[in-house]
Amino acid sequence: MTDSTVTLGRFFEQAREGTLTGIRCGACGALAVPPKELCPACGARRWEPMPLSGEGTIASYTIIRVAPRGHADEAPYAIAAVRLREGVSLLGRVVDVPLDALAIGLPVRFRPILVKERPAIGFGPV
Amino acid sequence: MRRVAVIGVGVTKFGRHERTSAELFAEAAADALADAEMPAGRVQALYYGNVVGGETEKQLHTGPQAASVLGIPTVPTTRFETACASSHAAFRHAVMEVASGASDVVLVGGAERVLNVPTADSTEYFAYASDASWEQTLGLTFPGVFALVARAHMHKYGTTEAQMAAVAVKNHKHGVLNPKAQFRKEITLETVLSSPKVADPLKLYDCCPFTDGGAALVLASEEVARTARRPIWVLASAAASDWMLLGDKRDLSRVPATERAAAAAYRQAGIGPQDVDVVELHDCFTIAEIVATEGLGLFEPGTGGIAAEKGWTSLGGKIPVNPSGGLKAKGHPIGATGAAQICEVVTQLRGEAGPRQVEGARRGLTHTLGGNTATVLVSLFGRD
Repeated sequence: MTDSTVTLGRFFEQAREGTLTGIRCGACGALAVPPKELCPACGARRWEPMPLSGEGTIASYTIIRVAPRGHADEAPYAIAAVRLREGVSLLGRVVDVPLDALAIGLPVRFRPILVKERPAIGFGPV
Repeated sequence: MRRVAVIGVGVTKFGRHERTSAELFAEAAADALADAEMPAGRVQALYYGNVVGGETEKQLHTGPQAASVLGIPTVPTTRFETACASSHAAFRHAVMEVASGASDVVLVGGAERVLNVPTADSTEYFAYASDASWEQTLGLTFPGVFALVARAHMHKYGTTEAQMAAVAVKNHKHGVLNPKAQFRKEITLETVLSSPKVADPLKLYDCCPFTDGGAALVLASEEVARTARRPIWVLASAAASDWMLLGDKRDLSRVPATERAAAAAYRQAGIGPQDVDVVELHDCFTIAEIVATEGLGLFEPGTGGIAAEKGWTSLGGKIPVNPSGGLKAKGHPIGATGAAQICEVVTQLRGEAGPRQVEGARRGLTHTLGGNTATVLVSLFGRD
């Protein structure tokens, strides 16, 4: 671990403040979502933090209607896999988009959210 | 490496039980030993699958507990946890123990108890098999994971909700023929399509149930198996893993771990998908069966839904899939599922499956998927 390592804790701290931080391999340039110790593309151990735009499109989505015990009071809620402009994908809650307007290809933008007081990834309309 | 055979199988009734998972395993294991005509004293190791014992039964160290309840407390025992693929992972390692020459007789199995807790709790415990920081925080469920797969598959290939429903109808029809199945009742397309939504586009009848149950089998070296009543040979057992985070998977309409595990298994056995007569695969959700039939090479990508709709995967069809009723109708006691699938294929290859027998089956395949598609095991079996 080096000073530039993006730990899980640091990623979510920065996400809470509004920035998604990816990591770029200093050897082969591959982009990834932290935390990762070794580059899955080339095996190097030389990551550099790289801020992500937070802009992307929905690659797939669902509406959770039967929720786990800890989230039962929030249902129904939408979860989407979002492909960011830079090429990496993240799962997040979709907020402020009517459930019947959800569609694959819909442009969305990252927004920090709290789910049960924990920082989490959210996506809202562009 | 030595040849390895399955010489005995045992499965409990699947459904609701008032016994612990260790008791359920012990019943299945004693049945498997009796089926193998093998004294318990000759068992040299136990490979055991159990997933949420820590949550539903407040019980860890479930391997030695299961061995103790069975009555073989001193054999080396290890519990495997690869989510829903646990006892198939246990099986693969047990095969390697016998193939290597380290042991001649090994017991494999698994058990699970979940119906003793409310559905909201079991839904939460199962979700522990997705990533805690990235996915559980969002309230992602397992139906949610496969709903994302379903939506991507529908978008890419035009797969329909009716095609998914056809999988449920087919597996329920098969389940009627299996006395051990949790559900032995035929359903209609309309039942599935009008059932309540769980995670769009998946509805209640697209989902397998929560289930209590146990399964076990006896593995033996070729020398021991030669004197067995009806040995069924392990032609291959392969595992593959994939990214834990769904976000890291490039194409949600596919399960790459299934494709890699299948390729490795076919290579080990020196056969291809066209050589397989009967398949037990991981239909935790109807879309999971469709994607698995494609990943295993039984049908071209994008045509798994059509295959289900046309009856190609039904008993009597081109390649019968899940004659046991599958996870959907037989039930899904997660720690026991992989072992139970193997028990079914062994029973089929022995020609002892009664009304659900796939006529003349000589080679069979089992496929078990763990959690968020990050673990897959594929094994192949043959009569000779």
